[in-house]
Amino acid sequence: MAKILIPTPLRQYVDKKDSVDVTGATVGEALNALITAHPDLKKNLYNDEGKLRSFVNIYLNDEDIRYMKKESTPLADSDTISIVPSIAGGL
Amino acid sequence: MIQIEPEAWQVMVSHAKSTYPNECCGAMIGTVDGDVKTVKIGLAIENAFTGVQHERYELRPEDLMKADKEARARGMDLIGIFHSHPDCDAYFSETDLKNSCPWYSFVVLSIYKGEFHHANSFLPNAEQTEAPKEELKY
Repeated sequence: MAKILIPTPLRQYVDKKDSVDVTGATVGEALNALITAHPDLKKNLYNDEGKLRSFVNIYLNDEDIRYMKKESTPLADSDTISIVPSIAGGL
Repeated sequence: MIQIEPEAWQVMVSHAKSTYPNECCGAMIGTVDGDVKTVKIGLAIENAFTGVQHERYELRPEDLMKADKEARARGMDLIGIFHSHPDCDAYFSETDLKNSCPWYSFVVLSIYKGEFHHANSFLPNAEQTEAPKEELKY
């Protein structure tokens, strides 16, 4: 099973666990498995149109899936998925 | 409420002063107990914005991943982000709001003429439409 690391503020939606093991052939399937098992997480990751929110980046191990095959990126049992926000700002 | 321990606070203020007149940024690592967040480690992170840094900052997601790994390795949590406003008050600007994430506390440090002036903490919402103030102790 692949592992999804859960950021601290989102652990309240996954029984306070810091990671969740999921099955799936692709990153997208794994994310679907995550929000199916923990539906309250969905609004934090996806907008009303079912797309990942603009500030949400998904990393497979150390690579941004945007530069791989996005949510179709193949997943192996030994893989770790990270949910990493985009953060910037200014005056 | 978010409280920042002296050692972490010193790192944050020093980083903001040393990068003046540019904006600085960094991560806050600590513990969460109910509604109380305690920052134990301030982690200075390079401002990755490629334009004029006097008015902008950007955190690389890779650097945030590293901060999260560091927090996990220490048995703590990544609980917030900090950045500075050079020669400007510590408010949550439109730019801050549009580039925020609702999962973390955002501490803004006001630096006037290279010296720390005041700070505030904000909690932006998921829609990036508002960011109410959060009680901050340092």
